[in-house]
Amino acid sequence: MINILSRALMMSTPLLYGSIAEVYAERTGMMVTAIEGIFLMGAWGGFVGAYLSGSLFLGIIVAILAGIITAVSYAWITVYLKQHQVVTGVAINILAVGICSFFMRVIFGVPIIPLTVEPLATIPIPILSQIPVIGPVFFNQNILTYLMYLIIPTAYFILYKTSIGLIIRSTGENPVAVDVAGLTVERIRFIVVLIAGAMGGIAGAFYSIGYIGMFTTNIIGGRGWIAFAICFLGNWNPLGALIGALVFGLAEAIGIYMQSSGGGFFPNELFIALPYILTIVLTITRKSFNVPAQLGVPYKKEN
Amino acid sequence: MNKPFFELKNITKYFSKVIANNNVSFSINKGEVLALLGENGAGKSTIMKILYGLYEADSGDIFMEGVKQKINSPKDAMSLGITMIQQHFSLVPAHTVTENIILGNVKGRIDWKAYENEIGELANKYGFEIDPKALVKDLPVGLQQKVEILKALHLKTKLLIMDEPTAVLTPQEAENLMEFVREFTSSGNSVIFITHKLKEVMEVADRIIVMRSGEIHGDLKCADTDEIELSRLMIGRDINPPARIEADSEADSSEIRLQIDGISVVENDNISRLNNVSFNIRRGEIFGIAGVSGNGQQDICEVIIGALTPSSGKILLDGEDITNSSIREIIEKGIGYVPADRHRDGMIMDMTLAENMMLKDSFGEKWLKNKFIDNNKLKNYTNSIIKEYEVKAPGAEANAKGLSGGNQQKVIVAREVNNGSKLIIFNQPTRGLDLGAINHVHKTIFKERAKGKSILLISTELSEIFGLSDRIAVIYKGMIQGIYNRSELTTEKIGLLMAGYTDDKEV
Repeated sequence: MINILSRALMMSTPLLYGSIAEVYAERTGMMVTAIEGIFLMGAWGGFVGAYLSGSLFLGIIVAILAGIITAVSYAWITVYLKQHQVVTGVAINILAVGICSFFMRVIFGVPIIPLTVEPLATIPIPILSQIPVIGPVFFNQNILTYLMYLIIPTAYFILYKTSIGLIIRSTGENPVAVDVAGLTVERIRFIVVLIAGAMGGIAGAFYSIGYIGMFTTNIIGGRGWIAFAICFLGNWNPLGALIGALVFGLAEAIGIYMQSSGGGFFPNELFIALPYILTIVLTITRKSFNVPAQLGVPYKKEN
Repeated sequence: MNKPFFELKNITKYFSKVIANNNVSFSINKGEVLALLGENGAGKSTIMKILYGLYEADSGDIFMEGVKQKINSPKDAMSLGITMIQQHFSLVPAHTVTENIILGNVKGRIDWKAYENEIGELANKYGFEIDPKALVKDLPVGLQQKVEILKALHLKTKLLIMDEPTAVLTPQEAENLMEFVREFTSSGNSVIFITHKLKEVMEVADRIIVMRSGEIHGDLKCADTDEIELSRLMIGRDINPPARIEADSEADSSEIRLQIDGISVVENDNISRLNNVSFNIRRGEIFGIAGVSGNGQQDICEVIIGALTPSSGKILLDGEDITNSSIREIIEKGIGYVPADRHRDGMIMDMTLAENMMLKDSFGEKWLKNKFIDNNKLKNYTNSIIKEYEVKAPGAEANAKGLSGGNQQKVIVAREVNNGSKLIIFNQPTRGLDLGAINHVHKTIFKERAKGKSILLISTELSEIFGLSDRIAVIYKGMIQGIYNRSELTTEKIGLLMAGYTDDKEV
């Protein structure tokens, strides 16, 4: 049981990085539909960086860079060239798959046995990890999960209690108001998407070097889209995203557990599909949404 | 004499190749109310947007107290003490009053309590009844404008520019605003307001700049001029408004064409958009509905044309129940509709005039030859309309979006006059048009009435309502406040009705 909960928290970590990134971007009106590609590039960059340098830390840095590069190309096309966000995102997602498999080949050829790195170790926190139940669940995780504990309250605080947060929220609701206040809508959107790219890169790296220490081109398997959905389900609020990510993390942990314990009554595939089914069910049943009014709409000044 | 507070010198601005401002120069002094008067498209908003840093002038300079300034963005303008309130407010509806006011003007952590108190006090000081915690989307338009003004006051603005500030207000709210303008300028601040309403100008301005076709055609002291001179300067030629043609006396007794009987529209959450609306329109009658925009006018139109199903009530056309008829059936029965938002509901901007002409009866046999569209017939017909309505367009094959607003509106009016053999609904038919086009639309309305058609005229412009209507209803929050013969109403009385005060007398 504790094992499942601990695994659930771990699996929700990358989803939280991704969905908080998405929350911030969408609050400025930018639907980051390239998130699946950003995750994948992060996973790939993280693995390649870690494998070649032998350092997981450098791996994460490379993952962040890969995420940023993907996000910047997305932001450039959608923010400055004013192209359609969904179309651009889909194109970049497909491109990411091609880039990853191509450069895997170029760098590593066709290895006989799968390439692996030693994944991020769990770091038990002294004393705290000794607390029954809570200890092993919350304080026996890897560094990225601990970092997440800081990011959630910070993300919430910035969004609702600071001038930057007010600007971000206003940009997605009415960019004209932001423009008239003397701020540059395009720059705000570009920077926020760039930060979202960095976070999405970390999320991707979590899948490759965070716990299995391998990379395949289908490693993300739609989890970028799940993070995308969590943003909606969490009503564009970092705390809502937290709840959403935990639910999906739990579903995934149960799936993995059932898979490894041989399942029993239900077929394995059902549990593997659980997060995806959950996405559909929750999206349909969620009643009221606070969609940012200008979500997905490029900002064009009259003139 | 001191140097003027702000001075614009030889400002010229092109939009692609069209000249919007040609060598415009004028100044404003401290404590002065300056009116910028002109028709739509005269370049008033453009010159102000240049002063506010939203547009960049192609040439010319701006001076503040004799010192040359570079204003490249609203931020620069604000730091010089200039604020501009746009015609379409730039507020965030989903945010609170406080959030809107401090947007972009605070740094770091926000102490919400302190700002809410500060803004509450500021509002009190000027007698605005605004709750700093209220969401902007819950406020009526008049109060939203006050939020914009508070935003400027919060920035300690010394020059406040307002673009068509009274367009959305009731006469009482407008009066209120004028009082604020006087109070604000009495302490040495300046106000520029952009308008095309002569009455307002005479009432509040100290000095008047008249603009036409991007150039200045007059810089006059209010005391030295009058409305007749101003209108001549503004239009550049004499305009003869269509003389009011009284309806045939028999219209009174003539048959009822459209009967609206107890129509209510209630949304899911029990908010009623229309509440028990009843009225009749006779044959050969112009029935006007006055009211501040957003009080259910759009819903009335949509109910009649079949786009919105009423929760209760009945609509009869010549005695036949059309409450549940489809949009297409209603078009075929002879109801024409000129919508308020021509870009959204009136035409398809990327299609040609000819294609737009057949938009609403494309399903019929009218335009077909051997089951295919008879392009020649359509083109000839459209060309004849272009001639008859004096539409300034290259021809039937021109794209709708290439035309000016007034010419687009003429095309829609022509189509709907043709569709509406029994009843034509005009919703805000002259909004955003210049006087020439307004005149044309008004003439058309009288002409169609003379043919015995019934007209439903919905407008927020009181002069239009008074000038055209035989009977006038006033709508407020989805309810008819009363139906009156034209002669029974005064501007003051209609203003009170539009603001929700009723008396019990009805016709």
